[in-house]
Amino acid sequence: MAQAEGKIEDLTDPVFYLDRPWVTIVWDDPVNLMSYVTYVFMTLFSYSKERATELMLLVHNEGRAVVSSGRREEMERDVARLHEYGLWATLARDDK
Amino acid sequence: MSPVCMNTAYGRRWRVMTSKGFLKFSEDSYTLQLSESEREVLINLSGQLIEILAERVDVANSDPLAAMVGITGHDSPPDDEVLLRLLPNAYADPVDASEFRRYTESDLRAKKSQHAMAVRSQLMELGNGSLLLDSESSLAWLGALNDIRLALGVRLKVDANSNERLELLSPDDPMHAVFAVYLWLGWLQESLVLALMEDFDADSEGAQ
Repeated sequence: MAQAEGKIEDLTDPVFYLDRPWVTIVWDDPVNLMSYVTYVFMTLFSYSKERATELMLLVHNEGRAVVSSGRREEMERDVARLHEYGLWATLARDDK
Repeated sequence: MSPVCMNTAYGRRWRVMTSKGFLKFSEDSYTLQLSESEREVLINLSGQLIEILAERVDVANSDPLAAMVGITGHDSPPDDEVLLRLLPNAYADPVDASEFRRYTESDLRAKKSQHAMAVRSQLMELGNGSLLLDSESSLAWLGALNDIRLALGVRLKVDANSNERLELLSPDDPMHAVFAVYLWLGWLQESLVLALMEDFDADSEGAQ
């Protein structure tokens, strides 16, 4: 029987698991131009130039960055659009 | 990612090859003046891109309904490295990646092919005049230029430290010329991105 206080078991609860958000990850690649990647983030996600530049640099310096999060279907749409623009993107369940 | 490499000594040598790149003409329209040889290079490369994408034909699908909703039947990634870069996996997990590919690859392939065809036909129709792009055709150009660069990047084995190796290629090496074109395309694409950004900045100032 479930108890009021959170227990380890709660983390494996299927409902809890399904509720965890998904994330879209963009990976660094040596060909895409820095200016182009910034432009794509501004266009697809309506990010400001500052925010888009920050994310681009994160991808460039760290090798990857989470660029959006939400429901799985939404992230699949984001990844499909990023692929259309030629960025290297994947989606995954948020591991935080 | 890559900064534009045209400001290296090697890049500068090839810069004389081109005009001024893309320029903003008026709001949401852009022009490009090309020499005859540049036009030929772009016609040739966009044609090659169309061919590469066409190599990945849809698996014969006996279910017309499945075909209608874009299920291609392809659930494994392409063997060819260039095609794999153009049509990448969406998931690290192979099972999820296959499922996603089965439903979406055909659409992605069609879009990339449409971009390249739009660019190619615009170039074929162009006489000696300048190209004039509206916002729709500028996106086709942006996509196609990027896809061509991705394809050349795979063939040239471009990585974070490859510029030095590629700059030192002997002029007799066929890859020498390919690398020069690759750099030129990066410069050309950058000029379009900057022109598009100019409109972006103007729009967001207008909205404030």
